[in-house]
Amino acid sequence: MTTPRDDDALPERLLDAALHYHAPLPTPREEMWVAIAAARRRRHAVRRIARPLAWSLALAAALVLGIGIGRHGWLGGAPRGAAPVAAGAAPGAPYRVAAAQYLARTDVLLTDFRAVSRTGRLDPQFLASARDLLTTTRLMLDSPAGNDPHLQILLQDLELVLAQITQLPTEAVGRTELDLINQGLTQRSVVARIRAATPAAGAPARTIGAL
Amino acid sequence: MTVTVRSPVQDAELIARARAGDPAAERALYEAHVDRVYRLAYRLAGDDDRARDYTQETFIRAFERLREFRGEARFSTWLHAIALSVALNGLRQVKRLRRYETSLQDGQDVAGTGREAEPDLKRRLAEAIDALPEGYRTVFVMHDVEGYTHDEIGAALGVEAGTSKAQLSRARAKLRFVLADFAGEWVS
Repeated sequence: MTTPRDDDALPERLLDAALHYHAPLPTPREEMWVAIAAARRRRHAVRRIARPLAWSLALAAALVLGIGIGRHGWLGGAPRGAAPVAAGAAPGAPYRVAAAQYLARTDVLLTDFRAVSRTGRLDPQFLASARDLLTTTRLMLDSPAGNDPHLQILLQDLELVLAQITQLPTEAVGRTELDLINQGLTQRSVVARIRAATPAAGAPARTIGAL
Repeated sequence: MTVTVRSPVQDAELIARARAGDPAAERALYEAHVDRVYRLAYRLAGDDDRARDYTQETFIRAFERLREFRGEARFSTWLHAIALSVALNGLRQVKRLRRYETSLQDGQDVAGTGREAEPDLKRRLAEAIDALPEGYRTVFVMHDVEGYTHDEIGAALGVEAGTSKAQLSRARAKLRFVLADFAGEWVS
């Protein structure tokens, strides 16, 4: 490799033109400072509420799921006919449980979206749920759950879909926008992939591997 | 553009006060560095809303992680590393979203076919910069447009200054190649 030299500078005329590239506006210092302060307060409050809640939910769910795994061999942990897994011996960390809960909620919301989108009117509560799930998606992407390559791809797709939904107005939603989102859901088999990644909590109890 | 040179001592004092929970020190750190961060975010994003988002997120993260700043590098270097990470990740998501939306449009609307009048140098240059690979574009914008040194760029990107120089050289070569038909305008 040749050593790069700094005497290959662009001609002055080109450099002058480059200064116009995405020329910044004056810095909106005050507005950004207010937004930063508000966001920090919000995040602080959310953390204070969410941490104990998330842990208690995760632990409760881990217990339930652990029993489910033990009884029914969910999550493909034990091969059919294999010895039962002990109740309470959940193989995954709490974030796996949180991921399962989150996927179930997303499944419900996206299924509702298909139905609701036929009317062209979106309930503000529905949009609030979508925003909430979008925030959770981003937290999931930053959590150890986001390290699982399959789940990461699914989470990234969900982030896009939820971001599109949250930007919709509550009333008189354009048909094209709704169709575009629905097409995306179908083409990328989003709901089917969510279901494939979710333990079949609502499925009839099987006795595979159970006593 | 006015570049205010800050001494690391001034920053160190403010950081110590901010860590102790002094909001005025946080504000002073913000005031001292926000211009450069916002300008860089704007240059990379090309959009005020996104530039604001990236700048705000940079400071939120910086204040949250202030205890992790060990003072081995300058505060501005550390802050710029956060800013670049926030902005480049954000822009990757925007790119992904655009690709996703384009794939759904099924090629219905075809982009400009270049039948317009010959674009001027600024526009062609902007398009050429946009088309540079991410690493080249970042270094070009930081060095040739915003005036960062290779040491600053290297530290913020976590690469050697030599890598920054090499990427700048390649970026310039690409721009020269793409804008070859304008050569007459700058060769005097």
